[in-house]
Amino acid sequence: MPTLRFHINGAAQQYDVDAEMPVLWLLRDYAGLTGTKYGCGIAQCGACTIHLDGRAVRSCTLSCGAAAEKQITTIEGLAPDGSHPVQQAWIREDVPQCGYCQAGQIMSAAALLNSNPSPSDQEIHTAMAGNICRCGTYVRIRRAIRTAIDYKLNPKPLNQ
Amino acid sequence: MNRRHFIRIVPLTGGGLMLGLSGIAKAFAAADETTATDSATAIGDFLSVQTNGDVIFHFTRHEMGQGVSTAMAMLIAEELCADFERVKVSFPPADLVKYNDANGGHGTGGSSTVITMTPILRKAGATAREMLIQAAAAQWNTTPDNCYAEHHFIINRISGQRTGFGELAEQAARLKVPASVTLKSRSNFSIIGKAQTAKTLPLLVTGQHRYGADVNLPGMKYALVARAPVFKAKIRSYDAAKTLAVKGVRKVVSTRVVAGIQGPLLPYDIREGIAVVADNFWAAHKGRENLAVVWDEGVHSNASIEDFAAFVKHRGEQRLDPSGYTGDENAIANIDHVKQTLRAGYVFPYMLHSLMEPLNCTAHHKGDSCELWIGNQWPEYIAEEITRVFGIPKDKVKIHLFPSGGGYGRRAYPDAAIEAVCISKEAGNIPVKVMWTREDDHQTNAVHCYQRLDYQAGWDEHNQLYAWYEKECRTYMWDRQYPATELTSNGYNIPNIRYDLEDLTNESILQSTAWRSVMINGWALSECFVDEVAIALKKDPYDFRISLLKEGREANVGHAEKISNSRMIRVLQLAREKSGWGQALPAGQGRGIAIYPYGNSYCAIVALVTVADKKVTFNHVTCAVDCGMVVNPSGAKNQIEGGVVWGLSALLYGGVQVKNGRVTTSNFHQNKVVRINECPDIDVHFVETNDEQPWGLGEVSNPVAVPAVLNAIYAACGKRIRTLPVNLNEA
Repeated sequence: MPTLRFHINGAAQQYDVDAEMPVLWLLRDYAGLTGTKYGCGIAQCGACTIHLDGRAVRSCTLSCGAAAEKQITTIEGLAPDGSHPVQQAWIREDVPQCGYCQAGQIMSAAALLNSNPSPSDQEIHTAMAGNICRCGTYVRIRRAIRTAIDYKLNPKPLNQ
Repeated sequence: MNRRHFIRIVPLTGGGLMLGLSGIAKAFAAADETTATDSATAIGDFLSVQTNGDVIFHFTRHEMGQGVSTAMAMLIAEELCADFERVKVSFPPADLVKYNDANGGHGTGGSSTVITMTPILRKAGATAREMLIQAAAAQWNTTPDNCYAEHHFIINRISGQRTGFGELAEQAARLKVPASVTLKSRSNFSIIGKAQTAKTLPLLVTGQHRYGADVNLPGMKYALVARAPVFKAKIRSYDAAKTLAVKGVRKVVSTRVVAGIQGPLLPYDIREGIAVVADNFWAAHKGRENLAVVWDEGVHSNASIEDFAAFVKHRGEQRLDPSGYTGDENAIANIDHVKQTLRAGYVFPYMLHSLMEPLNCTAHHKGDSCELWIGNQWPEYIAEEITRVFGIPKDKVKIHLFPSGGGYGRRAYPDAAIEAVCISKEAGNIPVKVMWTREDDHQTNAVHCYQRLDYQAGWDEHNQLYAWYEKECRTYMWDRQYPATELTSNGYNIPNIRYDLEDLTNESILQSTAWRSVMINGWALSECFVDEVAIALKKDPYDFRISLLKEGREANVGHAEKISNSRMIRVLQLAREKSGWGQALPAGQGRGIAIYPYGNSYCAIVALVTVADKKVTFNHVTCAVDCGMVVNPSGAKNQIEGGVVWGLSALLYGGVQVKNGRVTTSNFHQNKVVRINECPDIDVHFVETNDEQPWGLGEVSNPVAVPAVLNAIYAACGKRIRTLPVNLNEA
């Protein structure tokens, strides 16, 4: 197996892995980063969403070979202290239930707000439609994205 | 067995599980009995108050997204008079001795957690408060009645002295546990009833909240199982040569020894399979792809969902002896009274759970003991089954409990744990994480029972409903035995009600299991038939329901909780008021209403939909709920909202396709669920009550959302949908 070089949450790391293996399993089984979740393996549910060079991608169908040398950001690296506007908004709006899909939801929302600081309702739906929440927290996800937008425009501590 | 009985009371919560809820006794262990490392500050079985003032609540139930870790922390913190910000939640391993029935156990299901745990945790919190007060009083040379607790401090009401919980913790933990304590009155609550964000949030939003699937042990291997593609099929032969040639694959073992065993309590069935044990998930995955298995497909090899539906329809049209009735069991045929009848059959079909975290279990069989790491709703049952199946005594079974990515009843069964222990054992007593892929989850899993409800209603010459007949065919019974007598539980005041139940467990082509709200999903379809009767009688569906209810009347349907017509009226009124029921709508839009109880909780829903080009759009959903005392308004609303979305997914995309015995759809591209762009705005309103007892609400809204929407579709376009998923092309 080849030795591949990755940049994960800002740190350079090397692994001897099958270049065809999805990045999801690199993160979970090799790098010990279990915040990124398996949900479907075919890019249908979004639970495994990470940022690759700043864009939201599904790590379950992204091969290690394709991700090598690029910048990978996982939920653990978004803001380890939970201070990212999207994380703060998720806390304030009490979004999650089981939480299993929420790392992917947060990574999708963070990527959306990076590329589009003021999305319309339609744009929010389009960006978030790839992320399934079986608990059904969509009403709160919508609200939290609006809250995160407000927070970015006017940063202030969000009390619980 | 003679099933002809009049209705009588049996100890069942509505559709729910009864998991060792045998009363409340030892809510508090003597402090000097605790031997844990934090014994210096452990005050009872549920709390540690650390010297820095942090309060650690030892959570004992299963957190699967229903928010009970936060709600339970609120209940204990309220009586403790703690600062809720300083209360942390820990997830200790299962302890079947300490957390016995008297302490509420670990078993989580039937929306029972807040019901059972409220008195236990309030007493525990009040006892800890009393001990802190006693410690402070001793320090100040005064009597406890001169002291009180407030916001993480004990205060001397004479001198005004204040001491924090942390400074008193060690002293308090050495005190004798008071025999009796006084609970706060609801008017003094400062935590219960105020919206609190989930205690799990800080870890969740940073990816640190650990689930069973995230377990990593030294030397741990990963396993995937090629399970029988047809229910009850057996392995004829297999060839693992190519599998063993995959780099990283270590072993290939079978699960024959546990396949097909029948659980003595809740029924389950482990499909026979071949497990590929490897160094990591990817190697196991590649290894399994290279596995060649020949199956003896057995009795279900030709099964299809269409044939099964036709068989159940035929059974549904046959009458049995009634399971329960009030009045005249043959009233529907009484031509002296009944001037007109209406009949219709409804189906709530097999449904997938699609738990976002698929089933998984890490197990280490060590010969005479075993250790498990799992998110599960009923570890007591796991321990019992490990003992029964593998002969390991219960005190040698250690179960590490994790929150899970959704349970919905599916995680109340021990099958995934037994299979994992078997694989660990067969692989040579090594720790193995057995994972289910989404395809495994959708194609070889247990599902919601298949329910068919055949209704008949008869009314008299004054258009008064005289007789209600209901025949249910169902593929799941809680305990593999014919259930006790019961009536339909819609609670309506109809003089003659008859209910026939036919158990089709043995005919089922898939294993049935608990699926959020269980049989109430099918039962609540009676709310569509009520609508059909209202329309036939040219009555407004809301007014018609109110006319079938009588203030003060309580209907005994054979469950632990009688059905209160007054509370039904309240939630109907609230839903009507908040939804704008009766206001004019543009063409193509319609409102539907439905109500149904779950245990002692009540939910009424008004759905507003648009039907255009044979497609349904959900515009708005209004929910009115009476669940007694609301512990956490934020978590409670989240449950109701989520339940609605759960119901909408069943409406649009539910059902399981079966052909040649196999589930033909495999993943979310075929087994769709509602996504954010399809989700309506959802309003949730709670009936204000003075109760101090909360009732469960994790399963009360989804069964009601389904008939509310089906009734709205009828109002919008005149098409009556009687099975799921909704298909307006065939209707």
